[in-house]
Amino acid sequence: MQSNEYLPFLSEIKAVIKHTDIEYTFRLTYEGNVKPGQFFEVSIPKYGEAPISVSGIGSGTVDLTIRRVGKVTNEIFERYVGDKLFMRGPYGNGFDIDSYKEKELVVIAGGTGLSPVKGIVDYFCSHSQDTKGMTLIAGFKTPKDILFREEFVHWQQKMNVILTVDSAENDTTCKVGLVTEYIPQLHLNNVNEAAAIVVGPPMMMKFTTQGLLKRGFHEENIWISHERKMCCGIGKCGHCKIDDTYVCLDGPVFNFVKGRQLLD
Amino acid sequence: MDVNTKKMKKNAFRVTKHRGFTASRIRVPGGYLEAKYLGMIQNIAETYGNGIVNITTRQGFEIPGIKFADMPKVNELIQPIIEGLDINQEVLGQGYTASGTRNVTACVGNNVCPYACYNTSLFAKKIEKAIFPNDLYFKVALTGCPNDCAKVRMHDFGIMGMTLPQYDKERCVNCGACVKACTKKSVSALATVNCKVVRDAHKCIGCGECVLNCPTGAWTRSHEKYFRLTIFGRTGKKNPRLGEDFIKWADEASIIKIICNTYDYVKNYIDPLAPGGKEHIGYIVDRTGFEEFKKWALKDVQFPANAEINTPIYWKGIKY
Amino acid sequence: MGYCLDQAGFNQILNEWSKEYFVYAPKLFKDGGSFSDTDRIRYGEIHTVEEIVFDRKSDYSYKEILLPLSQTLFFFTDDMVKEADLPKKGAVILLRSCDLHAVKRLDEIYLQNGCEDYYYKRLRDRVKFILIGCQHSFENCFCVDMGTNRIDNYDAYIEMKNGEIYVDNHNDVWKPLFTTYSRRTPEVIPAYATENKTHIHIPDGITPDIAHSKIWDEYDSRCINCGRCNFVCPTCTCFTMQDIFYVDNGKVGERRRVWASCMVDGFTDVAGGGCYRKKNGQRMRFKVLHKVYDYKKRNGYHMCVGCGRCDDICPEYISFSNSINKLDAAIKEVSINAVK
Ligand code: HEM
Ligand code: SF4
Ligand code: SF4
Ligand code: SF4
Ligand code: SF4
Ligand code: SF4
Ligand code: FES
Repeated sequence: MQSNEYLPFLSEIKAVIKHTDIEYTFRLTYEGNVKPGQFFEVSIPKYGEAPISVSGIGSGTVDLTIRRVGKVTNEIFERYVGDKLFMRGPYGNGFDIDSYKEKELVVIAGGTGLSPVKGIVDYFCSHSQDTKGMTLIAGFKTPKDILFREEFVHWQQKMNVILTVDSAENDTTCKVGLVTEYIPQLHLNNVNEAAAIVVGPPMMMKFTTQGLLKRGFHEENIWISHERKMCCGIGKCGHCKIDDTYVCLDGPVFNFVKGRQLLD
Repeated sequence: MDVNTKKMKKNAFRVTKHRGFTASRIRVPGGYLEAKYLGMIQNIAETYGNGIVNITTRQGFEIPGIKFADMPKVNELIQPIIEGLDINQEVLGQGYTASGTRNVTACVGNNVCPYACYNTSLFAKKIEKAIFPNDLYFKVALTGCPNDCAKVRMHDFGIMGMTLPQYDKERCVNCGACVKACTKKSVSALATVNCKVVRDAHKCIGCGECVLNCPTGAWTRSHEKYFRLTIFGRTGKKNPRLGEDFIKWADEASIIKIICNTYDYVKNYIDPLAPGGKEHIGYIVDRTGFEEFKKWALKDVQFPANAEINTPIYWKGIKY
Repeated sequence: MGYCLDQAGFNQILNEWSKEYFVYAPKLFKDGGSFSDTDRIRYGEIHTVEEIVFDRKSDYSYKEILLPLSQTLFFFTDDMVKEADLPKKGAVILLRSCDLHAVKRLDEIYLQNGCEDYYYKRLRDRVKFILIGCQHSFENCFCVDMGTNRIDNYDAYIEMKNGEIYVDNHNDVWKPLFTTYSRRTPEVIPAYATENKTHIHIPDGITPDIAHSKIWDEYDSRCINCGRCNFVCPTCTCFTMQDIFYVDNGKVGERRRVWASCMVDGFTDVAGGGCYRKKNGQRMRFKVLHKVYDYKKRNGYHMCVGCGRCDDICPEYISFSNSINKLDAAIKEVSINAVK
């Protein structure tokens, strides 16, 4: 009997971490291999499925950071520790940590784009011997929207962290400005070897990658993760296809050489 | 010159403003005819008339400028048209018999129009067969769908095509096209529930927009043809008004029966002093009351199971 | 091996098959057209050979048997899922050469691209195909140019001539059946279309840059994004998933998948309200390129099989084959602009 990939399994909520009014992280039981940048199709029976990136990997758990937008994600917000969720996955290629080892690495994330790269940041935070220098530039709309505040405190001790917001209102704890503004002044020993990962909204990714190229990064040293309309997650439904690429199978993580050609 | 104008009018010739000249009237049930008859009409106009043909408001032709003396010759030339159009004729070779009951008009219907729910000209012919010739003043018109291009609501009997949409939920992919079409172009009878479509049967007017817009064929037309019958709309000097809905989801047989029954009703109740023996049915109903009309009209009528009868009816209209 | 049967004989075989299979063929649905007093030819279950429509193309393809328009995947409660049942019988499908070529495209996506699709696979394993011969091409067919006008990997071939049925059987299991019910065993060679009125030319040298060509713009206003072109297509494979909870018991429900179309609103909508291809011309570009460019890049052969159904059905008289024939000019246009 072949396996039925469409049938979801039950997973227990171990913890709920509220970052903002509309963004929560759910820690869910999951035994199995999973990489940062992969995603699960999370479902709440009677509402539907949503592709959610893995924002953290623990032993026997995965973190899924969910933003309250569509109807699917609203329902999840009424779930608490001990409740169960149906999900299937993980899907997608995810980030390959080895590609970034022994290099100077710059991770640039906008908004919820921080979730898929958080696993990488966590990794190099705890394995600082594996990197030649790590910079994280994270941008949010306002201070209210900042995710993983506690982790930032921790990261700041281990790497160069630039936390910036588009507009600060009255908050003075973080910088104000777009993530792109910090690219020209990046301190790097050898830009020819340096790697960069960019994840965020389409416009942010466009200008950020442009900025990195200008700063001297090589195309093949830049990686991006594409957010896409995804439905099946397994190369069948066609919603995620761009040109001959299925984002759910071939991505969502792409080397920029390939990723830049993906036009909707 | 001695001409019996009463007789002449019954023979579909008209008293015109030009003394000594008449006009021949040719009615075309449903306005649908083979092109070859146009040549015959042209011939009459050029041989006996003044070369002009008027396309009348009720889908007929009026050939003016004919001398009274030429009427028998014109009747001879009209004969093949009468036969070709299968017109009820009282005396062979004596031209059209027409008076009170007007030509049954129709929009082009499903011969051409994608919106139409039935073949209007065929039904028009059936009605012609059932009611002609008749001196009583009846106007009947048919239109293919609730767009009502034929303006049937301005007639004594207005017949509007309907289809009873059939939904196969297994073919529905929830694209929303039908709901959008019904909402924007029709009466908002459709709603999406649980990713499938639900039709409010009471609201639905059977226009078929859902069928036309469904890309998968989840909506189809009923095999049965249905009609809305509106009654007693009228134009004219006294109290023009739009016809009101009488029956929804009627069929051909019930409509023909109702019209025929109404002839009996009018014969019984018409004002004997009505000028020219003509009185709009609506004024008669105003006099006898709607219930009396209904009693006569629905006698022995068999409706389809889903037919809805609207009663009592109140008309509005313009009063001076 | 070839057989000749009379209609009664073939009906006996259909009867035998019906114990194990549903037999599907193009058939006439009276009054099933969009317009009043028009019929529809599409696939349906048949029990006699008289029901099969041999002389017209079906509006919709055989695809709906392998991939139902609306398919329940499983039922669920708060903490349990139960897989939907498999149809009780397998299927025998009568179809033309272009459509049998199209099966390969469905297989490519549903059996190859990533993992196997469980629901497709369990049906597909129980399907037999009977090829219907094409004595001549229909309007808008361009199978010859697509190289899909001939095929020989069928279980059986069928042709109706002077009231008799000619069969070429490739399926050994059916041999005794045909031997029993046939009158003669003539040689039967499948008929196929050798010439179409419609011709297409798919140029080499298409690049994704072709999206910037002006040829797509006219479809912004001409196309009404109804999706008919995708729904009739034997090779379109897209679907959308839906979760339904029952009105009478809100705790239980089912997950379904329904056909999707890249022409219809919503196909590229993402949570939060974004939509990637808003203009109908760009949707047209996406569809055309999938059919005759990027599918091939991924799988080595074109997706479109030239059945012409998309041209037959488009209410706005948009011709897909004509849009293919504009690609040459579009390539030149974008390359000139690139030089500038
Ligand atoms: C002796 C009386 C009448 C005669 C001889 C007469 C004559 C006609 C004729 C010959 C036509 C048809 C033209 C065609 O074939 O297209 C006609 C149409 C018409 N008549 Fe009269 N008529 C009479 C009384 C009335 C009355 C009493 C009214 C209204 C109260 C009326 C209102 C109309 C209207 C509105 C039309 C336009 C066609 C339509 O119904 O759409 N007529 N009339
Ligand atoms: S027939 Fe017309 S009114 Fe009735 S559901 Fe369809 S679109 Fe709406
Ligand atoms: S148009 Fe057809 S497929 Fe689309 S929602 Fe309506 S019934 Fe379903
Ligand atoms: S091309 Fe034609 S059939 Fe396809 S979506 Fe546009 S209008 Fe509909
Ligand atoms: S794209 Fe058109 S011609 Fe090609 S297989 Fe699909 S329906 Fe047939
Ligand atoms: S043409 Fe559109 S609907 Fe058809 S398979 Fe391709 S993406 Fe899917
Ligand atoms: S999400 Fe269905 S094919 Fe990629």
